[in-house]
Amino acid sequence: MREAFSNALVRLALADSKVLLLTGDHGYSLFDEFRRNCPEQYINAGIAEQNMVGMAAGLARVGFRPFVYGLAAFVPIRTVEQIKLDIAHDDLPVVLLGDGAGFVYSHLGTSHQSTEDIACTRSIPQLQVLSPADRYEMTAAMDHAYATSGPVYLRMGKADLGDVHAGPISSLQQGRLLKIREGRADQPGLIATGSMVRAAVDIATSMDLMVWSAPFLKPLDADDVCAAAQVTNGLVTLEEHSVLGGLGAAVTEITSEHQPTKVLRIGVLDRFSEHCGSYAYLLCEHGLDVDSVRKRIGVFCHSLASNSIALA
Amino acid sequence: MTTFDPSRMRRTVLEMAYAGSTVHIACAFSIIELLTALYRNHLRYPGNDPRAEDRDYLVLSKGHGVMAQYACMHERGWLEDSHIQGYFKDGSDLKGLSDSRVPGLEVTSGSLGHGFSVGVGIALGLKRKGTDQKVYAIVGDGELNEGPIWEGSLVAAHHRLDNLMLIVDKNGFQAMGTTDDVLSLGDLQAKFSSFGFETLEIDGHDETAIDAAIRQLWATSPNKPKAIIARTVKGKGVSFMESINLWHYTRLNPQSFAEALDELGLTGASK
Repeated sequence: MREAFSNALVRLALADSKVLLLTGDHGYSLFDEFRRNCPEQYINAGIAEQNMVGMAAGLARVGFRPFVYGLAAFVPIRTVEQIKLDIAHDDLPVVLLGDGAGFVYSHLGTSHQSTEDIACTRSIPQLQVLSPADRYEMTAAMDHAYATSGPVYLRMGKADLGDVHAGPISSLQQGRLLKIREGRADQPGLIATGSMVRAAVDIATSMDLMVWSAPFLKPLDADDVCAAAQVTNGLVTLEEHSVLGGLGAAVTEITSEHQPTKVLRIGVLDRFSEHCGSYAYLLCEHGLDVDSVRKRIGVFCHSLASNSIALA
Repeated sequence: MTTFDPSRMRRTVLEMAYAGSTVHIACAFSIIELLTALYRNHLRYPGNDPRAEDRDYLVLSKGHGVMAQYACMHERGWLEDSHIQGYFKDGSDLKGLSDSRVPGLEVTSGSLGHGFSVGVGIALGLKRKGTDQKVYAIVGDGELNEGPIWEGSLVAAHHRLDNLMLIVDKNGFQAMGTTDDVLSLGDLQAKFSSFGFETLEIDGHDETAIDAAIRQLWATSPNKPKAIIARTVKGKGVSFMESINLWHYTRLNPQSFAEALDELGLTGASK
């Protein structure tokens, strides 16, 4: 997935000399290819993220296409105000790349973990928020971001979980869900984003559930979400992000207004990490490992079944 | 041709502030001569078009002084009398702080420490394009409390942005007191020199000195960004406002409005 990211960036930069990569002194080996192929388009802006994002706005104002890279804990989180005022307010074509989102930096603690970035960016007007799940979505997301005339935040989480799609995606349709798997209509459907799509597919395979990937957190197509609610019995959202303000919130905002449905939101429960350890360990601490999630979905299925019996 | 007379500019600011019953008059008065000199002799707007692609950029990072810029834009003919007399009317475009959606204003500022970074990016972009366009960024001395100013200063020097001129409105005050009392800035000329800027300190109300400093800085030290430390008086031009920090927040009443106009040697409406 990181290779797909690097390849897309190099391809876009080679095709358009206005594409610039700005990094806040991060991404050492990730940008080897870029630095080899497009050294003049590479700017290490130093460990100064706020200035870097403001500077990207200035570069976009005079015709450049900045891609601004940082860890999600810094871009966007440290620079939310610069994104709001300097970039989004003027609808400038700047792509913000937040790497290591969620618990990728599991050993480093809260400073490098990011489970609030979707919530913070989703409420900024004119800013699109993307969260690709595998290398195919990453390639399509980069192409979509480049083709967009306004600002985009592209969230990159755990990147080595394998593919969820069978092959390349020709192009992303703005806001649309991607159907990953068919399954039972009398059970909940799973809508997942980023790293959690892999977990959703693993769980759905054993329980025969439908799965959609949500590469867009904003905009999120209301018709697609309502359609998913209509063809299933309840919905489960899965994200490596707070349950406040992320995918679960976006889905329930739509369903509560247009298609009332029971929704189980799987995500981080408004808490910081307590301990450090491997990525797998940290997912367990937050109840986001496959076994914990499968159990919660099982309980949810049971409650839906009891409800329908009670109602009958 | 317009005159860009500082007294006329101050009158326009007073008329706006009175019409809109608004604050930040003193923040605007300290940069009147700086803006007057820039708009009269230095900023290039081909076709007098505030959005001309090959214009120079004036970034008002201290958005609180925006009424001074409105006055210059009015003098340029970019704003109508109705904009001045109708300041802050419901549904109007001119806000109390700089907003980049208004042609002639380059950045959305007022949250401090933003505009300078955007200006650094504009300067870097223009330099990459190989144009001779200039970028002027006006920051308040209080605004120098903000970290991104110093981040941007490092970047400006590192990338040899000799098309960028930082102008510090050193009026010695910020919202809650003097800069010395709130957060000492030390020797600003030495600070910016040590960051790699070619730096001059001048009387920010002496138009001749301002013109000379701008010309001298552009003519010297290729590869270095420029900085002018402009010693100014907050509220300059009206005796009861000068260095009285209450005029960061105070609104005009009919009496103070008349007295202020009287002090400027101007009475009655401008047109």
